[in-house]
Amino acid sequence: MTASHSRLFGVLLGAALAFSATAHAETIFRMDDSAPGEADPDKGIDYVGSVLAFNIYDALLIPGQHGAPVQPHIATAWKIDGDTYTFTLRPDVKFHSGNMLTADDVVFSFKRMMALGKGNSSLFAGRVAEVTAPDARTVVFKLSGTYAPFLGALVRLPILDAKTVMAHKAAGSDPQMGDYGQAYLSAHDAGTGAYSIVSHVPESETNLVKFDGYFLGVAKSAPDKVRLRYGLQASTVRELMASGQQDMTSQWLPPEVMRVLAARKDVHLLNDYGSGIFFLHMNTQKPPLDDVNCRLALTYAFDYATALKMVKITDTVFTGFPANGPISHGAFGYDPSLPNYARDMTKAKDYLAKCKYTSPDQRAIDIAWITEVPSEERVALLMKADFDPLGFKTTIKGMPWTLYTQQVTNPASTPALSEVYIDAATPDPDSLLYNMYSSKVAATWESASHLKDDQVDALLEQGRTESDTAKRQDIYRKLVARLRDVAPAIFAYEENQVFAGLNTFQLPSLSDDNARFSAEEYGLQFRLIEMAAH
Amino acid sequence: MTPGRGARVWRALRRNPAGMIGLVLVAVIVLAAIFADVIAPFPDHAGAVGDFAAMNAPPAAPYLLGTDTIGRDMLTRILFAYRLSLEMAVVVLAITVPIGVGIGLLAGYLGPVTSYALMRLTDVFLSIPPLVLAMSIMGFLEPSALHGMMAVSAMWWPWYARLSYNLARAEKQEGYVLAAETVGAGVPHILLREILPNCIPAIFTKMTIDVGFVILIAASLSFLGLGAQAPTPDLGSMVADGAKYMPDSWWLTLFPALAILLIVAAFNLLGDGLREALDAER
Repeated sequence: MTASHSRLFGVLLGAALAFSATAHAETIFRMDDSAPGEADPDKGIDYVGSVLAFNIYDALLIPGQHGAPVQPHIATAWKIDGDTYTFTLRPDVKFHSGNMLTADDVVFSFKRMMALGKGNSSLFAGRVAEVTAPDARTVVFKLSGTYAPFLGALVRLPILDAKTVMAHKAAGSDPQMGDYGQAYLSAHDAGTGAYSIVSHVPESETNLVKFDGYFLGVAKSAPDKVRLRYGLQASTVRELMASGQQDMTSQWLPPEVMRVLAARKDVHLLNDYGSGIFFLHMNTQKPPLDDVNCRLALTYAFDYATALKMVKITDTVFTGFPANGPISHGAFGYDPSLPNYARDMTKAKDYLAKCKYTSPDQRAIDIAWITEVPSEERVALLMKADFDPLGFKTTIKGMPWTLYTQQVTNPASTPALSEVYIDAATPDPDSLLYNMYSSKVAATWESASHLKDDQVDALLEQGRTESDTAKRQDIYRKLVARLRDVAPAIFAYEENQVFAGLNTFQLPSLSDDNARFSAEEYGLQFRLIEMAAH
Repeated sequence: MTPGRGARVWRALRRNPAGMIGLVLVAVIVLAAIFADVIAPFPDHAGAVGDFAAMNAPPAAPYLLGTDTIGRDMLTRILFAYRLSLEMAVVVLAITVPIGVGIGLLAGYLGPVTSYALMRLTDVFLSIPPLVLAMSIMGFLEPSALHGMMAVSAMWWPWYARLSYNLARAEKQEGYVLAAETVGAGVPHILLREILPNCIPAIFTKMTIDVGFVILIAASLSFLGLGAQAPTPDLGSMVADGAKYMPDSWWLTLFPALAILLIVAAFNLLGDGLREALDAER
């Protein structure tokens, strides 16, 4: 072999090896979450269900960035004429099936969501009179009245491929629509998102693959595949992370485990926040907390600083921030002029002196914590330590979630105090506060305080019907001030959902405040992950 | 059992090292559980309290077995959990032994129709895996220690029915039973005064071994969240709660698991020792 032949051989060999390396440099992103994972986007409303919906499906609008509540997505523009919203759609959006997205798919998706009546359908129920598609690229929503949160609600309307869904419909109650493809969509998808379902078992795992035809394109650095596993034990997740077999944890790990992971050099922390609050609901319809002074006494007796210490991960990272009311800092309606809550025993005693229930026996309160969330027991014990010396007689009981959701539908069986994390479904505070505090809404776990207050009701209605942004901002600030006065809950802290991730990837939408979105859960976009090749 | 026979059994047990170890361990555990209020370092830690300055502390003075994630002393909670475990075993056996023995004696002594009906019912219960049956029952009930006891009781009596049936069938042929029948003794008299006393040693031995198994099944239910609920100290739920923090906070799981191992092994050793002693005495 001559020297030139040798060089040529070397070049060819190098090229072959490079090609081989490129061909095999498939990246996979592995994380876990709580079970089950709901694949049907019109049903899943918890964190993992939302993450699946946001990655597999797209909506007309998506949560905004840099202070904007929403931003264009499938809809490139919209026009508001009174209660009529007209949206112009992108022409280049392709479903995973290869079908092109048209306005008829939007109409179908809306009708499907409302027909199923699950998931986020409550955001639109009774608010939309008609949805029509005058042409393939135009959708018109005619509302039944002024509904200011409408644009924000649209981020929760996933657009489905009508042809694919109907091709897979099974027998159902509707003679024409069958089961609306529910059986099919429980394990498959009909979306346009950057990722499509390869396999899905709700109790164990979902496997996704990058969709090459995504209308926005997907960066090469985004993972080729995603594997979500459900219901793993915290100790299992910790070991998988330590051995490099998992890239990111869920936010459900206990602070102690998260602390161990955070101390590792190959791990960085990510977080998601913006609308979640840790509510300690007070039952306003049952003695002794039907007296606002007793409620305010508890509000000021609660040790907010210790509650935050309990969720400390590092010296600078906590799974909570101090709160000043039911709206998180930075969210629409947040009032930075209000002070954060802090323990003030002088105020607590003053309010207690005004409470009509005078003896500890009259001030007996039961505190319920959800047994599926062990960290809540600590908060219950903290409350006991705070409230008993003040003159209350507390009893603590752990309660499974299903039992709790049944009991709180009736004020008589609702615990005096109960602990629940709640976040807003959309970038609009209406989606958080209306269901929680409007006396028109049937009681659910979100409204375990059973508040009946005319001023709160009036402000909630004004917030829905006022279309001027500045005036709405003012309305929600007044609402927060009123809620501070009537104290339907102790707003323990703002929720900060912390994840641990290996340094093999970065996700700016969960780590860089300039890249965050205006709604929780949307930031966990797999297409925005910057992966190092494995 | 006559005093003379008891003394012979005791002598036989004393010659059995494993049985004696079991006896000593059982005695220590029972006494520790009874006097938990006195000997536990932090008796109030058995209840709804938290020491937020001492959360998740590893084993070191003053917390010899460490603290849990709420800052409660693990040793204290294990001692009180032993109390609950033993209470559970006593209650379950107090319910199941009379029922099971009653059914077994009736089936063993009475005619073939009664025998067939009672023993087939027993077989139906025996055919279902015990933990599965208990979990099925708990599916209808709110998780609590009391309901856990009910669920375990529902699956435990058939073992005593089967044992008593076999014993009664054998005793039925003995001369003293035939003599009692000849002089016109009634069924209750024959069952309770003639047959039962001769079955008691075997039943007692099984009860001793079963204490450990009842505790193990109850701990399994608690591990699955179907037994005693927080803040009641319970060995099974302590293992389950602590598992989330393995391997870093190993003491949260290891010590309750060892506590289960110790109490189950102790009753098994004692039960085996008693059985061997009774066999030797015969």
